[in-house]
Amino acid sequence: MAIEVKTQTMEMAKSLRQVPQEEGYVPGHRTCQGCGPALVYKLVYKAAGLNSIFLGPTGCMYVANTSYLCAPFAGPWMHTQITNGGAVASGIEAAYQVLIRKGKYKGELPNIVVMAGDGGSIDIGLQAMSAMMYRGHDALFVMYDNESYANTGIQVSPTTPFGANTTFTPPGKAVPEGRVLFPKDAPQLVIGGHPAVHYVATASVAYPVDLINKVRKGLNYKGPSFVHLHAPCPKGWLFDASKTVSVAKLAIQTGMWVNYEWENGEYTYQHTPKEYKPVKEYMKDQYRFNHLTDAHFAKMQAFIDARLKAPGKPVAVPVQGPREQS
Amino acid sequence: MAKEVFYSGCAAAAYAAKDARVEVISSYPIRPYTGIMMELSKLVANGELEAEFVLGEGEHAQVSIAYGASAAGARAYTGSSGVGVTYAMECYSPAAGGRLPCQMAIADRALDPPGDFGSEHTDVMSARDQGWIMGWAESPQEVYDNTIMYYRIGEDHRILLPQFCCQDGYFVSHIPGKMQMEDQKAVDDFLPPYNHPHTLDPTKPINHGPQIFPDQGSAINVQRAVAFDDVEAVIEEVVTDYNKAFGRNYSPFVDEYMMDDAEICFFLQGGHARTARFAVNHLRKKGIKVGVARLRFMRPFPTQAVAESLSKVKAVGVIETNTSYGGVTRGGNIAPESRAACYNLDNRPIITSFMAGLGGEIVTLNEFYAMARVLSDSVKSGKANDSYWMNFEKEVLDTHS
Amino acid sequence: MSRFIIPKHLEVPLGACLPAPVKEQPGMITGNWRTERPVIDHEACTTCLNCFIFCPDACWHLDEKTEQMVWNADYCKGCMICVNECPANCLSTVNELEFPDGVVRLEKPF
Repeated sequence: MAIEVKTQTMEMAKSLRQVPQEEGYVPGHRTCQGCGPALVYKLVYKAAGLNSIFLGPTGCMYVANTSYLCAPFAGPWMHTQITNGGAVASGIEAAYQVLIRKGKYKGELPNIVVMAGDGGSIDIGLQAMSAMMYRGHDALFVMYDNESYANTGIQVSPTTPFGANTTFTPPGKAVPEGRVLFPKDAPQLVIGGHPAVHYVATASVAYPVDLINKVRKGLNYKGPSFVHLHAPCPKGWLFDASKTVSVAKLAIQTGMWVNYEWENGEYTYQHTPKEYKPVKEYMKDQYRFNHLTDAHFAKMQAFIDARLKAPGKPVAVPVQGPREQS
Repeated sequence: MAKEVFYSGCAAAAYAAKDARVEVISSYPIRPYTGIMMELSKLVANGELEAEFVLGEGEHAQVSIAYGASAAGARAYTGSSGVGVTYAMECYSPAAGGRLPCQMAIADRALDPPGDFGSEHTDVMSARDQGWIMGWAESPQEVYDNTIMYYRIGEDHRILLPQFCCQDGYFVSHIPGKMQMEDQKAVDDFLPPYNHPHTLDPTKPINHGPQIFPDQGSAINVQRAVAFDDVEAVIEEVVTDYNKAFGRNYSPFVDEYMMDDAEICFFLQGGHARTARFAVNHLRKKGIKVGVARLRFMRPFPTQAVAESLSKVKAVGVIETNTSYGGVTRGGNIAPESRAACYNLDNRPIITSFMAGLGGEIVTLNEFYAMARVLSDSVKSGKANDSYWMNFEKEVLDTHS
Repeated sequence: MSRFIIPKHLEVPLGACLPAPVKEQPGMITGNWRTERPVIDHEACTTCLNCFIFCPDACWHLDEKTEQMVWNADYCKGCMICVNECPANCLSTVNELEFPDGVVRLEKPF
């Protein structure tokens, strides 16, 4: 006789006062001063609570958090390979489904959350993420986006913006912009192509209550959800550690980051500025863009303008191959 | 109710997994093991097995799903063949080092390139350093029995290691044999429910696998070495219990046939041992004192049991259905390990190897007769080559005697 | 009898699985990273909770009894996000050398 699997329902927070003081991501981790992804982790843990199982694919939020032989996660947490966060989470979710049905685990289905970086979500981890979305596991995939493979010393990833200096895309005589390619659009990879997914959202550390509520909404939906969280990285983007939140705000004010939700086919937008500031304002205070010329800024502006014109729809970017034609 | 059936190795594995009450299964198709998953999917679909059948997106994911499920407290089962086994390679050490005792059924298959569906042991043999328990069955009955025994060995709290339960692709996986399927209650009595000392459980939170200092690395390795020091004793316990519970007669480590008065022997793992025993019967009629020693575990390599067995003869022919290009014998992997096992013996036998059955070709009786000739000659001359590639070298060119 | 002797300083939990921490992780004290610290003027503070929510290291929390913000000296890395995000200007950045317990000396280099 199979027992019904009960799940938790998370309440929306109406203000900062309703955000719990209790930490699931406790102080005592070797992340950089001002680390955006660490802030994301703290907020996601507040959103999910301790009746949760977190998976930590290799990345900054694994290595920097757990050096050495200690970790700051007050709830159950397991390391996964950077390749398989979605797959290990799937195995855990399947296990809990059958253990609850068989009466071996008495309790609600824990929230199951994968905390993967940009690489672990849509590069090397893409296959496992997509399969978790497709198979309909009741779990949340969180992509914390610091726009690089930061843990290994800031190498380019599929979400690194055009023109960014990383240790695999340094600017030079032959490649003046450094980073030539435009980034993958993570939520768009998930939306529409995975029938079991009803909720995809983007959020930013700039608006923490919004981020917490979106994570909770994702957790509340039966089946898989995906949230894409902007996590500015002082070390990789080269800005002062105190500016993490203001950089995140500026990203939204310039259109470089858009907060939105896709729910059962409908898009809604949050924090849309009345008027967008020019992208150069965002880029000029991050040393990773220091080598760029006005022509490069113009290219970025054109891309962002096109993306804002048709929000949620793919933007065709003129691609000239790996090198700028001189 | 125990019942006699006529099942292939694939079916045997599936029904053993069912009787072992596996709880999470991760599937992905690749020849020749796919039949195991096809059979299991039917059992889950019609309610005969209460389990989650997870459609893995690839073999790397299959193993990940399995060890995740194991970490969450469920008995997990997966499987693969050939390049699927090597594709999942990244995941073997995390499972073993994380002490997650899931089981992977292997119906072995030659590796690409190019495509070859035939049996060869190289696929999973190349994972033998990853810290899993590993052994070959020679028949559907043994596939069934090993599946159940391996869970009890691997889940033992002294051990906590994942297991590769292997069978020859096609020769065992696809050829039906008579076998006994046991009564569910008897299996339940032999194999208790899965119980792991540290699972991912919100009521008892753990942090599983934080980054360590290089200095701490050897300490983690030693833990795994301790498990492998302890596992032989557990294997002996489990096999003895199984034999008693189900009326079998397995030797824990080396299955011997006519070894006690043998001068030469064939040493191998897996299904070709059955052909070897027929060859021995024929050769014995001609007065040749030959035996068969069949290795039941590749990991742990049962060093002492192998030395004891092989010390009975003057010359050992290892039938290698696996390759290690550039390896010390310019052949396979079992002969070097066997030689190492015999290193300290006062009277070491000659140990040579015969590269046979590669790519899935049948190891014929005539090939065994040719091997016996080479072994007998080596007893007379006192030496032999490190390896002979059957049908391709002058001593073993014409295998029709 | 196992042939292995595990020296105490090389003991590692089985499979590198540790019990989860409760309120903090003393295995990674980070308070000795900072060169400056945020100092709060409680009078000017409006308990907007920005510092609480924006600290990546959870070093600000609200004491619900006193309705005052409490700072965690053991772990604060001195990133100054809180100072940057305070709308009431009640947080100032002060060099560690100004404090008797400032700039913790390590016994050995990290």
